[in-house]
Amino acid sequence: MDQHRLSLEDRRNLLLGVAGIAVLIVFIGLVKLQIFQHSTLKEQSENNQLRIEPIVPKRGVVYDREMRVIVDNRPSYTLSVVPAEERKSITISNLADLLRIDSAEVRSRIRRNMTSVYQPATIVRDVELNHLAVLEEQSLRFPGVTYQMEKVRRYTYSLGSEAFTGYVGEVSEEEMKRASGRVDYRLGSMIGKKGIEKFYDSLLRGQEGTQYIEVTATGQAIGPYSARPPLQPVQGTDLVTSIDIDLQRACVAVLDSFCCGAIVAIDPRSGEILALTSYPNWDANMFSSVVPESSWNRIIADSSHPLLNRPLNGLYPPGSTVKFIAVGAALDLGLVTENTLLKPCGGGYQFGNRFFRCWEEMGHGALTAVHSLERSCDTYLYQVGVKLDVDELCRYYKACGFGALTAVDLPNESPGLIPSSEYFDNRYGKNKWTKALVLNLAIGQGEVLTTPIQLAQFFCGLGNNGVVFQPHMVTATVGPDGARTNIAPTVAFTLPFKPRTLELLKEGVRLVVEGDGGTARRLRNKLYSIGGKTGTAQNPHGDNHSWFVGMAPLEAPEIVVCAIVENAGHGSDVAAPVVGEVIKAYMEKKLGIKNQQLTAVNAGTPQ
Amino acid sequence: MTIQYKSLDWKLIGAAVALSLIGIFIIYAAGYYEQSAYRQTFYERQMLWFLLAIAIFAIIIHIPFRFFDFGAYPLYGLALVLLLLVLAMGDTRLGATRWFSIGGVSFAPADVGKLALICTLARFFSYTRLPVTSKRRLALSFALTAVPVALILKQPDLGTSLVFWAILILMWLWSGLSPMILALLLSPVVSLITASHWLAWAIYIVVLLVVLFAYKPGLTFGVVIVIANLAFGSFLPFIWNRLADYQKMRILVFLDPGMDPRGAGYQIIQSKIAIGSGGVLGKGFLEGSQSKLDFLPERHTDFIFSVLGEEFGLWGSLVVVGIFAFLFYRCIRIAVRCRSPFTSNIVIGAMAVILFQFLVNVGMTLGMMPVTGLPLPFLSYGGTSLVMFWILIGLIISAEYRWQEY
Repeated sequence: MDQHRLSLEDRRNLLLGVAGIAVLIVFIGLVKLQIFQHSTLKEQSENNQLRIEPIVPKRGVVYDREMRVIVDNRPSYTLSVVPAEERKSITISNLADLLRIDSAEVRSRIRRNMTSVYQPATIVRDVELNHLAVLEEQSLRFPGVTYQMEKVRRYTYSLGSEAFTGYVGEVSEEEMKRASGRVDYRLGSMIGKKGIEKFYDSLLRGQEGTQYIEVTATGQAIGPYSARPPLQPVQGTDLVTSIDIDLQRACVAVLDSFCCGAIVAIDPRSGEILALTSYPNWDANMFSSVVPESSWNRIIADSSHPLLNRPLNGLYPPGSTVKFIAVGAALDLGLVTENTLLKPCGGGYQFGNRFFRCWEEMGHGALTAVHSLERSCDTYLYQVGVKLDVDELCRYYKACGFGALTAVDLPNESPGLIPSSEYFDNRYGKNKWTKALVLNLAIGQGEVLTTPIQLAQFFCGLGNNGVVFQPHMVTATVGPDGARTNIAPTVAFTLPFKPRTLELLKEGVRLVVEGDGGTARRLRNKLYSIGGKTGTAQNPHGDNHSWFVGMAPLEAPEIVVCAIVENAGHGSDVAAPVVGEVIKAYMEKKLGIKNQQLTAVNAGTPQ
Repeated sequence: MTIQYKSLDWKLIGAAVALSLIGIFIIYAAGYYEQSAYRQTFYERQMLWFLLAIAIFAIIIHIPFRFFDFGAYPLYGLALVLLLLVLAMGDTRLGATRWFSIGGVSFAPADVGKLALICTLARFFSYTRLPVTSKRRLALSFALTAVPVALILKQPDLGTSLVFWAILILMWLWSGLSPMILALLLSPVVSLITASHWLAWAIYIVVLLVVLFAYKPGLTFGVVIVIANLAFGSFLPFIWNRLADYQKMRILVFLDPGMDPRGAGYQIIQSKIAIGSGGVLGKGFLEGSQSKLDFLPERHTDFIFSVLGEEFGLWGSLVVVGIFAFLFYRCIRIAVRCRSPFTSNIVIGAMAVILFQFLVNVGMTLGMMPVTGLPLPFLSYGGTSLVMFWILIGLIISAEYRWQEY
């Protein structure tokens, strides 16, 4: 076997080859990493040392018409974990101990809110200050845990403003998908969920900035990364609304003694919403931090549905408040004249084999159009209904803004329901329904559903010579540079009535309070004139809903107030005084009258 | 005894000095942003160790070569005793018992073992009259290596045990063993690796049989090789189960570093990022973000080359690699020149340690080799390692100086 022995030269070459291969391997490895993979690895090295953090701009403040704050921001500390910097078995368990939550819960929150392992994932918002102190003192026990001061929304307390302000919350996946391409929401971004916060989210939120923080492998922030300057945020735009905080407070106070209801106050000259209340209300501040599960369950389980935004989404039969439409249609179409006396009311009206009751069992006697409105006589309206074609009446309803969105600058409005013959055909079958349905429609019952804001809008038309301004809430925006842009009111439509008809209807409005037989006589006072209309909406689920829509001062109405109090009985008994209180608050402020004087005047007024 | 300093191989000494100084320089950079003052001053301690290493080097070159020749077997015995002792009473760190602590200084008997094995194998190969490929010669040299390896595996320290095999294999080659026979001898290892998949293993065995048939190394030898291959292949699961968890992890992570980016793969990933992001010119002295911001682990010791690659880029890395290449070339030249087989064997054995640790350490930082924990010769922080490499340089320089001796 010794033939295998190699010469000295061969052995030298062999060893040179071995050493050469070793050096060559290293050389190839170096060239591969430092030349061919240089750009990728350089980027990874940058990502390693960078934590990209958003600079959240100040969200816009919402003011009332006198620049008093309705919604602003307060500081709150948000605790996050940077997943890449978290140390297994230390971070999560220590954090769970500190916050007294399950470590599985911490883990699932990290997973849910994680965008990248190098970005902080939110664990808790609005963390307690004593927890922060622990984090600061014992930072070694919490590798990868960071906290940021962020601003959360503060809703002026006890304004009951959530019906129009709405609230903000973390963006959902669905919302992100919908906004993709327009706004760069990231996981954990706040977005308006309801109300103005939602409708004007793009203005209020501003534009997020970005900062680049240099960090060590253990997650310790070194400071701003000098090679990449931060991208400054654009601050949110402030909004000036037409809300009058004083009036809003008056609305909340007056509804406080009832279970459920809503008040909408609009300036008919511009469509500006002065107050908007839904009752029962809830505290929007609740959503600014973590909603405790118990409070949430309580709200969800509440049979009075606090989360239902009644002014925009509460669907009620309007009752007698809309009698103007049937009467106006009949006058316009010449079915009755202003002097026509229809058959006297003896407490009801016999139609075919069915007796339709008037609310006044004693009867009203024979009435003309305006007096039928004054006394809210159902019998008169039944006779008008008989004369009216169903589609004709529904066309008038629609022309008065019912069954459609008011296009108020608030989201998720309900259109309500105005039927048609086609609707009845579909529902009951062709020729299987009778004119009896139209009789009910004429008095605002049956298959007609309206929202309080639609009703307020309609009365704005009555009070403003038929011209209906689109109800709106935001009257001006104030940009981050302080530039104020006013939003001009726009005319939505005009009521379909002839001028003379409109005058008569307005007279009806006046007589309801001023007339001797008016259903809301109790609102009469010597300081200012009020008009309006009562309504009692039959409610198959319980007691009647009480309606009243009022306006003042009658000569040139500045405010229309629509109130509904659920299951409270007659409009004249409940809703009318409610509206009276709101109008009183408005007029008192306007006229500069002291509260006591006004009360004294009211006390002297015959009921 | 006096020696003529002028006649020393100053180029080789210069290369080793250059590597040591570069090491101190990089250790300074690696510790610059450390928080603790202790870690910041590693480079000062390394400087003191360097002075000590030079002193020991100076002593080594004065020692006549006969001393190593006669002293080889006693040294081997001493090394075995130390390796046994360390198992019994050494310090245990991170699950491995590798060190003695004497007055705050750690020293690993495995380093003595390397020196002892170099001298022992050199003596064995130069005095045996057995033919190069005789089974007895192969078996005895194998056994001489396997005894310390067994003790080191017991610690456990897989990486260091491989250094011993590297010494044996290079000495085999230098003593004239044909590469084909060597390849056949190493074939059971290939069998072990391919056995992870039955098809790969089947193909490999067929190839092996074809080679044996064509090469005809002898019937007994061939049969032994085939049996060894079959045995290793079928023992894979058994051996795998014998490995410590961290060893299994290191092998798995080597095969796929992305498997555990926060754990064992982290070091490899961060090292590759550091070296690759350095590019051609490097980020500049003290400017390496990977090292500065603590992303590079073990950057004084095992991953010192990554700091070099990050801050000085390709050119800096190639300077160091070039010095190593020069050193290897010089060693082989010296080995060829030496008249005495013992002396030239010592040179090759010493070079084997430097070459193997260079390849495995740099290969690890480049993500081409598993994490073994072997330091980079001359550069990595660590006094005993530096002293050991300067002893090896001392032996090589001494061999060159005495090349005419027989």
